Amino acid sequence: MPTIMTVDDTASMRQMISFTLGSAGYEVIEAADGAEALKLAQDRKVDLVIADVNMPNMDGIALVKSLRAMEQYKFTPILMLTTESQADKRDQGRSAGATGWIVKPFNPEQLVEVVRKVLG
Amino acid sequence: MIPASLATRWWAWAAAACVGSWAWTLSHVPTVVAVGSGCATLIAVVLLLGHGLKRYRAQQASAALAPASGGAPDAAATAEEDEIAALLRETNKEIGEIPPVDEILQSMEADNHRRRLEDLLRRWVDVAHRYSEAALVLRKEIHAVVQHTEQAANTISSSFQAVINKATLQAREAMELLEGTQGGAGDGAPQSLTDFIRVSDERLTKMADEVVRVADLSVQMVKELDGVQSRTQAIDGFLLDVEKLADQTSLLALNADIEAARVGEHGRGFSVVAQEIRRLSQRSHEFSDRIRQHLKAVKVGLHKTYGDMRNLSAADMEHALKIKQEVLELTRSLETKNREVAETVSRINTISREIAQDVHNVVVSLQFHDITSQKLKAMLEPMDELRRTLFHLMQETMAVGKNLLPTRPAEGAETTTAAPAPPAEDDAGDSVIRKLRAVGAPVSGPSVELF
Repeated sequence: MPTIMTVDDTASMRQMISFTLGSAGYEVIEAADGAEALKLAQDRKVDLVIADVNMPNMDGIALVKSLRAMEQYKFTPILMLTTESQADKRDQGRSAGATGWIVKPFNPEQLVEVVRKVLG
Repeated sequence: MIPASLATRWWAWAAAACVGSWAWTLSHVPTVVAVGSGCATLIAVVLLLGHGLKRYRAQQASAALAPASGGAPDAAATAEEDEIAALLRETNKEIGEIPPVDEILQSMEADNHRRRLEDLLRRWVDVAHRYSEAALVLRKEIHAVVQHTEQAANTISSSFQAVINKATLQAREAMELLEGTQGGAGDGAPQSLTDFIRVSDERLTKMADEVVRVADLSVQMVKELDGVQSRTQAIDGFLLDVEKLADQTSLLALNADIEAARVGEHGRGFSVVAQEIRRLSQRSHEFSDRIRQHLKAVKVGLHKTYGDMRNLSAADMEHALKIKQEVLELTRSLETKNREVAETVSRINTISREIAQDVHNVVVSLQFHDITSQKLKAMLEPMDELRRTLFHLMQETMAVGKNLLPTRPAEGAETTTAAPAPPAEDDAGDSVIRKLRAVGAPVSGPSVELF
């Protein structure tokens, strides 16, 4: 089963993502910010990252850039899940190397569908 | 001098009036009131006196000036004139020293302006102070709201997760139950209710069929017995024939014996044969009798067996058919029950799917918390910016107004030199949280506070 990492500073968001994807049969690990996520990603292989944009310590955009700089995460799908819907933020995410942009609130079925699609 | 005589007359009139009123008052009015009115009268008199004196002096002065302005030039008058001229020069000099009116007005206006400016600055500093405090309070409140919604959202989301986990478990167990009652059999032994019904139905049917077959056999046996009985009757008939033959043989032997006696000595041997034949005939009779007796016993036995068999076959058949019917009904009812169980389980399954859908909706709605807290947190930054700006403006104002505002000791001491950092997150909403707990507790706490 693929491992998915959810990165969000809000505990309830992480919980809901874990629950939704866990019910769909994926293994889900959680990180509270970009820095923690980066450490986790170094320790183990993650098949998909779902990250918030606005976070303390290291934000989502910086996380995407750092992950893309690592050899093993060059082509790993990274989805941004955020309240930000402005075009310039989205463009920032795209140019940093994010795979997709989901605006909160997410619909559980839709999220599972997107995850299935990007995991191939 | 008319005014002087007038004043003297006033004196006289006033004194007379005083004495008169005093005398009258003493005799007619209580002492306290009398003293009061006396005092009032005294004050009135003093005032009148003052007025009279002033007018008198003014008249005296004009009388003295009249000879100086247009009087005769004597020595005393000249000296007085010099003195007056000196006085006039002195006065003119002093008047020359007094600044012009425009200058005075300007300086007054400047003073006024400065006071207004001071006042404005003070008010401005006050306002800045108050609003930066208000911004701090607002910041704390926002923080508290964020914390509370986070707590609530966490609790709600974990509760809903528990709900959907339980619903899923419930549905799975119901499905297992359904599979247990509907599943296929392995090696003949019934493993489910359906199998049990099927196997017991098969076996009972087999048994009922066997009973029916036995009953059929007994019916056949009864028929066979009928045949046997008719044959015994035939044997009875044959026995009668045998007896008739024996009788005829006996008669024939008697005739032979008579014929032998008639022949005499030569017929003696024949007579012995005839006697033997008679004896044989008698024995044949005896045999026939014994056979008949046995046949009779057989007939009785057969009759009894026939009746028993008839009863037996009828009862068997009836019983077997009844049992078969009952078993069939039992099976039907079991099957109905089983179908009902299956339907219920499938309904449970549908409901769990619906619950899952509902929980999905909840998951969507619960994200409002994340969105609102991000929006609220976004409000904090401009608020801090406002506080910083206010603080710096205040400081600058204080610096500028240090000369203008010499007497504001408390103001500068309160605000520190460093820019205000946002307060530590932990204690930020403490008092607010306590307040909230006291009023409407979140989730688990009591909603009423008793003292």
